[in-house]
Amino acid sequence: MIKIPTKVLLVDDEEGFAEMLSLRLKELGEKVVVAHSGQEGLDILAKTSIDVVILDIKMPGMDGIETLREIKKQYPIIEVILLTGHGSTETAVEGMKLGAFDYLMKPAEFGDLAAKLEGARKRKDEQEERIRKAEAKLLLRRSGGAF
Amino acid sequence: MKDIRLLLVDDENDFRQTLAKRLTKKGIPPEQAESGEKALSILEKKEMHVVVLDVKMPGMQGIEVLQHIKEKHPRTEVIFLTGHAATQDGVDGIKRGAFDYLSKPVEFEHLLSKIKQAYDKVVREEEKLKEAEFREHMEMQMVTTEKLASLGTLAAGVAHEINNPLAIINESAGWLKLILNKEEMAQMPRRQDFEKALNKIEKGVMRAKRITHQLLGFARKDDSVFSEVNIMELVEEAVHLVNREAANKNVEIIHEISPDTGTIWSDPYQLRQVLINLLTNAIHATAAGGRIAIILEAVSDNVKLTVKDNGHGIPKENLKKIFEPFFSTKPPGEGTGLGLFVTRGIVEKLGGTIEVTSKLGHGASFYITLPRYFKIKENLDQDERIQFLDHLAELSNSTR
Repeated sequence: MIKIPTKVLLVDDEEGFAEMLSLRLKELGEKVVVAHSGQEGLDILAKTSIDVVILDIKMPGMDGIETLREIKKQYPIIEVILLTGHGSTETAVEGMKLGAFDYLMKPAEFGDLAAKLEGARKRKDEQEERIRKAEAKLLLRRSGGAF
Repeated sequence: MKDIRLLLVDDENDFRQTLAKRLTKKGIPPEQAESGEKALSILEKKEMHVVVLDVKMPGMQGIEVLQHIKEKHPRTEVIFLTGHAATQDGVDGIKRGAFDYLSKPVEFEHLLSKIKQAYDKVVREEEKLKEAEFREHMEMQMVTTEKLASLGTLAAGVAHEINNPLAIINESAGWLKLILNKEEMAQMPRRQDFEKALNKIEKGVMRAKRITHQLLGFARKDDSVFSEVNIMELVEEAVHLVNREAANKNVEIIHEISPDTGTIWSDPYQLRQVLINLLTNAIHATAAGGRIAIILEAVSDNVKLTVKDNGHGIPKENLKKIFEPFFSTKPPGEGTGLGLFVTRGIVEKLGGTIEVTSKLGHGASFYITLPRYFKIKENLDQDERIQFLDHLAELSNSTR
């Protein structure tokens, strides 16, 4: 079976970590783009099609929560997985209230990350599917009126 | 006045007995000795507040008896009884530590008031001593608490900083393992060596991660969720969680819960952690067929929890160290040396105290006292921890 790659944007100011995690995800067949700040992440989102963002909460400048808000405002359909340091579970919960798919504690078990990534991707696919169906229905009703 | 323990030492029986009778009437029944030797043997068995001592006796002389008393029972006061007009004896006695002297024939009221004065002095000295001991104990406790607090902050800061490179190591090793498992790598020379080393790296990371998480768990503030806790249920829950480990080792866990314990306002998850830590330690310390008791009782506004085992106990020299971070008697890699450190941190964060008593070979008892109601204090948050590290770095730079 051929795997359909998930298009992942990884946002983390810790460069070594971002690089290694992206290589690992790529090795599993995902398509990964890396950004080292919230703003850089948003810039990438503006020109690239992305399924899931893996977002570090603690970053200098625009932090993860701010970035999350902006992502959800501009691209509500993109799923976001938060990476938190230990002891910022509250922030993670706040993030989920703002629409993040889930969160992971650093250093995360790769298995957990892979599972959450798949879950996020699935939710996005399903949402897109519903949107398509709704659009089709809308189209049908409109055209129905025209007959 | 009944509390005065008094010893009369005089070889003249009539005199001594008459004096004893009169003193008894006044509410101070004395012990009696007819010689210095007898007096010393009584003192061996029973500590006296005041000794009334005749100077002239056959056998051991008063002055010699006095020396023995002052040497062995420095807190006992001695009143000398000297012969008529033998002032020199009295002065000698005072020089050697007697409280005062009276010349025979003794005026009873005078003697009585001297005895009372001597007793007052003993009581004052005792209080002073107790106060000094108490102060010393408090000071030591404060030093320990401060030491632990700063160590905790430092350790948590270090742990936080180490987490990031750990994550990098972890991802790198994981990535290499993925590559090794690719088909194109099947024929790679010495592949097994690589796999072995990568597994070791991952295991090492996991071990380090356990430590950093425990340290951070100790210092974090934001996961405390306070609620009404039925501590009885909590105990049963904790016992249930460790029961299998205990059963495997054939260790019995019993609980004695007094019915008036009721509920307390605290953090159930952290309290459960405390219980599990103590129970696990107890199981490790107890041999097969051993026994662990959990006792829960209400003590005024507090709840007292005791975890007692009949295991191998803790050597005296370790008793003070067991709450320090990274102190462990387990082989390297088995214990993080943080269990009791974290336990103590949690208990103190919840407004309680933890104490330990133990005798080698006779098990150990941990006593936790928790208030029924406690409002948590704000702890340092993460940012402050990092600042603390920066501060430390600055300090070490400036001294270079």
